[in-house]
Amino acid sequence: MSGYCLESLNFLIIDDNKHMRALVKTILYSLGCKNVLEAGDGADALKELEHSAPDIIICDWHMSPLDGLDFVRLVRTGTDSSNPFVPILMLTGHTESRRVMEARDAGVSEFLAKPISAASLYRRIKAIIENPRPFIKYKGYFGPDRRRRQIPGYPNDRRTAEAVEIIDIQGGSGRHELTHDEVSELLNGDVGR
Amino acid sequence: MTEEKEDDTENGEEQTASANATLIEPPSTLQEKVGPPQPGGVDLEALERAEAVIANLSDQYLDWVREDLKKMVEAFEQLKASGGGDQEKIKKIFQISHDVKGQGGSFGYDLMTTVGNSLCRLIENKTALSPSHLDVVKLHIDTLNVIIKQDIQGDGGDMGKKLLTGLTMAADKVGGA
Repeated sequence: MSGYCLESLNFLIIDDNKHMRALVKTILYSLGCKNVLEAGDGADALKELEHSAPDIIICDWHMSPLDGLDFVRLVRTGTDSSNPFVPILMLTGHTESRRVMEARDAGVSEFLAKPISAASLYRRIKAIIENPRPFIKYKGYFGPDRRRRQIPGYPNDRRTAEAVEIIDIQGGSGRHELTHDEVSELLNGDVGR
Repeated sequence: MTEEKEDDTENGEEQTASANATLIEPPSTLQEKVGPPQPGGVDLEALERAEAVIANLSDQYLDWVREDLKKMVEAFEQLKASGGGDQEKIKKIFQISHDVKGQGGSFGYDLMTTVGNSLCRLIENKTALSPSHLDVVKLHIDTLNVIIKQDIQGDGGDMGKKLLTGLTMAADKVGGA
């Protein structure tokens, strides 16, 4: 089995827990990555972005004073953002549907629930490489397109305004915990796997 | 809703999907930078090696988590002394249990993740804890300490089930789920 060679990619890990940063860094190096930077919070990460150009950002949700979602929103829509298109993988212990939707609506590219493993991290990186999505600017949102992929002829066909509606999860209080596949469905707008 | 006109730019990069929505292709893709899958890339062997490296971090993990549990016990003692109303200490305990929950399973201590998750749910967004709530928090902290002291890895088998059953019953009584 051949896989992707990751040594040309630059990574930025943002997590206020140094042990978690150490774990993610260790996994990335074991997977052949050569260029891994770290930041302890969103503010440091934004400073880092001023002079480095990561290809993928791996960001924890639960941080302070700037939490992961605020950081994502600043990258996507901040006037000083150096690369609003950078893929962002959100690392988090939260997998409830309303949380995933919140992350999706902030502009997160992929989601990885803790605890993580080398396999789960590589699968998400692979998804980011293989499934680049166009970005959409719509009603204050800027980020990966969240629409359903099954629209015939997408993206070249004529689309109706209904096509840009936000995909809502069906029913429930939003506290339902999602599996990895369900998270992926929600983020990517896939239907009926 | 009416159909929208398409308005392709000359280079086809930007399309207007609606009067309010704009579709933009990012300037470059990672696929171009990384190239196709190739021998020498991440394969099953590389994943196994990576998992082995994580396993070797277990000793470090145990040092980290012992430190975390010490801080959690300290914060709990201070919270108890305040009568359960010290919001900063509740947040501190939540933050540590969130970290414990996030790390445990990565290092083979799945029960730490499960118990850490239960503790997070118990105290999330709480501004004060009643005496019965404090008792259940203490039970969680004691359980975390037992798991590490007795080196209970994975789901802990029968012992793990007993520990979790007791915790769930106690948490349910105070409406912690």
